[in-house]
Amino acid sequence: MYATFDLDRPGDLAAALAILRTKGAVALAGGTNLIVDMRAGRERPQRVVSLDKLGVLRGIRQARGQVTIGGRTTVTDLLLSPVIAKTAPALVESARQFAGQMVRNTATVAGNIACGSPAADLVPPLFALDARLTLVSARGRRTVPIESFFIGYKKDIRRPGELISRISWKAPSSRSCALFYKLARRKGDAITVVGVAVALDVERGRCRRARVALGAVAPTVFRAREAEAILEGQTLTPELIESAAEAAAAAARPIDDIRASAAYRRHGVHALVRRLIGQAWEKLA
Amino acid sequence: MSAPFDPNRNLANVSLRHVGKPLVRTDAPGKATGRTPYAGDYVMPGMLHAKVLRSPMPSARLVRLDVSKARALEGVALVLTARDLPDRLAPTDIPGQTGQTRLKTDQQILVRERVRYHGEPLALIAAESVDVAEKAMSLIDYDLEPWPGVFDPESAMRPGAPVVQGTDNIVARHAIGKGDIDAGFAAADMVVERTYRTQFIEHAFLEPEVGLAWVDENDVVNIRVSTQVIEHFRFIADAIGVPHNKVRIMGALVGGGFGGKEDITVEIYLALLAKHTGRPVRLEFTREDSFVGHGKRHPFILTYKTGVKRNGKITALDVRLVSDAGAYVFLSPYVLLYGAIAAPGPYLIENLKVDAVSVATNNMYTSAFRGFGSAQACVAYEQQMDEVAQAIGIDRLDLRRRNYLKTGEPTATGYRVPSAVWTERCADIAWQALGEKTPAKGAIRIGRGLAAYQQSYGRLTFLHDTSEAWVGVEVDGTVIVRSGVTDIGAGQASALAQIAIEVLGVNMENVVVYNSDSAVTPLAGTTTATRALYMTGNAARVAAEAVRGRLVARAAKAFGVPVDDVVLADNKVSALDRPDKAMSFADLVRLCATEGIQRSELAMFRAPFTDRLDPATGQGQAFADFTYGAHAIEVAVDTETGEVTVLKSVACHDVGQCINPAAVEGQIEGGAAQGQGYALSEEMIYREGRLMTPSLSEYLIPTAMDVPVVKSIILESRSGVGPFGAKGIGEPALTPVAPAIANAVADAIGRRIHDLPITPEKVVRALHGID
Amino acid sequence: MPKTKARAKPGPRAKVESRSITLRVNGRTIEAETPPHRTLLEALRDAGFVDVKRGCEKGDCGACAVLLDGVAVDSCLTLAWTVEGRDIVTAAGLGSHDAMHPLQRAFVERGAIQCGYCTPGLIVAAQSLLAEAPDPSEDDIRLGLSGNLCRCTGYTKVFEAIRDAAAEMRSARRRR
Repeated sequence: MYATFDLDRPGDLAAALAILRTKGAVALAGGTNLIVDMRAGRERPQRVVSLDKLGVLRGIRQARGQVTIGGRTTVTDLLLSPVIAKTAPALVESARQFAGQMVRNTATVAGNIACGSPAADLVPPLFALDARLTLVSARGRRTVPIESFFIGYKKDIRRPGELISRISWKAPSSRSCALFYKLARRKGDAITVVGVAVALDVERGRCRRARVALGAVAPTVFRAREAEAILEGQTLTPELIESAAEAAAAAARPIDDIRASAAYRRHGVHALVRRLIGQAWEKLA
Repeated sequence: MSAPFDPNRNLANVSLRHVGKPLVRTDAPGKATGRTPYAGDYVMPGMLHAKVLRSPMPSARLVRLDVSKARALEGVALVLTARDLPDRLAPTDIPGQTGQTRLKTDQQILVRERVRYHGEPLALIAAESVDVAEKAMSLIDYDLEPWPGVFDPESAMRPGAPVVQGTDNIVARHAIGKGDIDAGFAAADMVVERTYRTQFIEHAFLEPEVGLAWVDENDVVNIRVSTQVIEHFRFIADAIGVPHNKVRIMGALVGGGFGGKEDITVEIYLALLAKHTGRPVRLEFTREDSFVGHGKRHPFILTYKTGVKRNGKITALDVRLVSDAGAYVFLSPYVLLYGAIAAPGPYLIENLKVDAVSVATNNMYTSAFRGFGSAQACVAYEQQMDEVAQAIGIDRLDLRRRNYLKTGEPTATGYRVPSAVWTERCADIAWQALGEKTPAKGAIRIGRGLAAYQQSYGRLTFLHDTSEAWVGVEVDGTVIVRSGVTDIGAGQASALAQIAIEVLGVNMENVVVYNSDSAVTPLAGTTTATRALYMTGNAARVAAEAVRGRLVARAAKAFGVPVDDVVLADNKVSALDRPDKAMSFADLVRLCATEGIQRSELAMFRAPFTDRLDPATGQGQAFADFTYGAHAIEVAVDTETGEVTVLKSVACHDVGQCINPAAVEGQIEGGAAQGQGYALSEEMIYREGRLMTPSLSEYLIPTAMDVPVVKSIILESRSGVGPFGAKGIGEPALTPVAPAIANAVADAIGRRIHDLPITPEKVVRALHGID
Repeated sequence: MPKTKARAKPGPRAKVESRSITLRVNGRTIEAETPPHRTLLEALRDAGFVDVKRGCEKGDCGACAVLLDGVAVDSCLTLAWTVEGRDIVTAAGLGSHDAMHPLQRAFVERGAIQCGYCTPGLIVAAQSLLAEAPDPSEDDIRLGLSGNLCRCTGYTKVFEAIRDAAAEMRSARRRR
């Protein structure tokens, strides 16, 4: 690879954040996006700040019903964690279908979020979990819902020098079910054509909470709130599920690209939302 | 013409000691331990690093090319443009040792004025490091003016279309006419006409093109390169303007070829840069270079019109083939001819008409790819068989059984195949081996498909193909094989070892094969056209038998027994029924050496030499022989998402005689995976000639998550024209897979998708008509 | 990680110097003058570890996989500077012709190798997989190899080889 940049490897977070304040600096975590983009000339940073020494940002823990993972936690870490298996099965499913082993071993959760791709596999399940992101910079920290993080195609609310240091969510109840489906042109290591994560909480035979998060069918991952509203408070029937699926498909704003047409993506949203809600409801009923 | 296959022939081969056994291949340990050097692993002191600047536009006029800034950059040794090479052209005709005049298809090495495809080279750079070469590339200024282009063969054939090649874009035509086509259709109860389309396909070998060149003390340009064809040295010499004996090509174990390293890739660039700088030069294509830097598989449009009786007998077949040759000719005429000859498939069609045309466009040029036109034909003829069966309402396998070409019957060109034709047996076995059908569930439907095929092995016989191998024994009883054959991963070199030790009665540890050097190993021709084992294997066998003959004669004299009673096995020499007569193989060789008996032999094997086919009727002999077999598939189709999962993949091929069954299985399993990609996920997408899928994340070959465990059933008729009755399996392993999958999908969903690849989206469109 | 979508011009400052770095590879310590943009793939190949293969340089093919502290990574997506002090093992470092690693032996004996260009990466990925799943299911194996493209073998023999090697490695562990 040919590129010109300075490379720093700060030993602690404060040092990293200090360097990240400088103009043209970018953070390097797993590198599975940044290195590819630099090689292709899509990214030309002046200064690359490697986070490889910041072990503090990597880890998974559960305390008082809250699951918290560090931004540098890798996709493989998710797959090996009993906490994630128990509290975020849809995230596990998306992690399984995430790229290939070597990329999973290095790619980080924060990196997958921060790359801003609407096809980022981990993001729809995190939306369905109502995950919150902690952003840190030399100036301080703030916590935002993941849903408000993205503001456009590859655009987010981060200020210069800000990193995603943590991702957290409330561990779901035992009366909940979350599912993820990745529709792609190949089963292994493929870019998502439609990604759907759903989550249902059921109480006394009714859907108390519904989440329908869609990937690769709009400039950002987003929640199909109309679909959720159709389901919440209801005892689900095939007709209700069908109208939620229709609402989700109507909310999608997909594009045509080499992988699929917008029409097919919309069809995929419809089919998958119907299928996943149906399966989740069946499991809980 | 040869006599038809006699099933009683060759039965003596059943007592083979080494041939037919899954011995550890000679190349395997080095590859497993990372010790094998590939062409890209060689370096030399003081070597320069090269880069190729390519056109981002598919059809344009080069109005300005300014390399002055790049030349001035520190560390840049040389920048070459077409202006520096005023009278040089690169040959693109069929490679190898054929002495016949080549087609007039030489092309510009670097763009002079007209750019004809996306990626066509504009300039070559040699610099002290890859970094400097890359920087120099960015310093080259050029202006390209868009030029009217044409991007599909049907448009390119229309009058007034922009001309890419020749006067009318037609780069080749072939016709086959046999029997009485009108009478055949008149006799039919039903006529079925369908059009099938195949796509551009990339070889996607894992090792991108790479080489290292230097000029030696004799002024010979040496090139160590990843290639299927070391005998490009002649074309390379012509291109740089030196005598043929001043270019030497050394191969290496090749990291995948599949036809994509059959044409010249980096060699001419390297030769020019090394010649001009006087320094060693290394050029390695990036993956992006590789995607735009070698020819693709031809897209074909195949229209089949079949006349059939109610009882399933096909009375007439009219086939029209149109292939997209892309911007330059390369091997398009030959690929088209293969397609035309293969058009009826493994069926006896008495009334046949084939019209085939290959057309230039501003798409990437197309050339050799495993299956070479025959694979495209199979995609059509095997889907057409299912369509015909459905139209007349008979079982798909019954229709095939009613029409299979049988041993001794004439092919499309009127040639009677000399070997066993076991199509029916292979198809029935493969179909049965699918076992119990997987149950359908919910939105998932299950379907099954089969495809049989006829695939030539060995080159077109009018090319007068030959191959040489040398076999010798050292005085300690070890064996050396020398042959120019390139090893592209199928175990081409190891097969020669196995053949030599079979004949000489030594063990695998005692043999070494030196191959793939155009200056010091006997020229063996190309590793293409499923010919390496057939041609070079025969040459090695002949050479080894000559050596054996002399050794055995000497042993017979020493033992006082007839030569037929001498047995060579396990590094020992003995006499039948005479336990007192024995010596080690090494002792026998030493004895011969002491007496000056020749311990080596250089042999040439010649394929049948024929004239060209009759230009009007296409009749005559085109190939030495054919392989037959079938592939059976079971798929699950998600009718809501359109996703296709291949559940079972079963191949049954008559390979004549396995040399190494593990290697044969490897070819079959790999062919099954490649064919699956051809059917379902692979597609080089060009928009107005621009490649939209220039990486392995956009061009999707099957992964370990996609391919089922492949079942290989190997039959051995021992009737082939290769060594010990072997046939070829390299290309045949791929050919039937894609149509078998297409047939399985159609069986599952009750609709047929006539154009490959069968993407989830196409399935959904066929079922639900979205939009 | 702020995103610049357009092709940003490189900034004015580029002191960007090479420095000598020390890498521990296959038990050896190597030192090499290395600029910051040099990938581990390039650094290893320049140092003669040419069993690490270049296939795509963007993490699509797995031919360049190496073990980093026992975990497989794509060396093309790793900057050389960032792995100083870590333990790097390539396929050639796992075993040699005379003392093959069980995976290497199984690949040879099963005929799981054709052109062989993807083989070092497959063996590295398999070693990393078996470290986490000593008795892998077929699904585990498929998932573990999903980042390694092979164009010749169709994977069937690769699966067999990995199962053989896993069994041998388990029984060797029991013996110990």
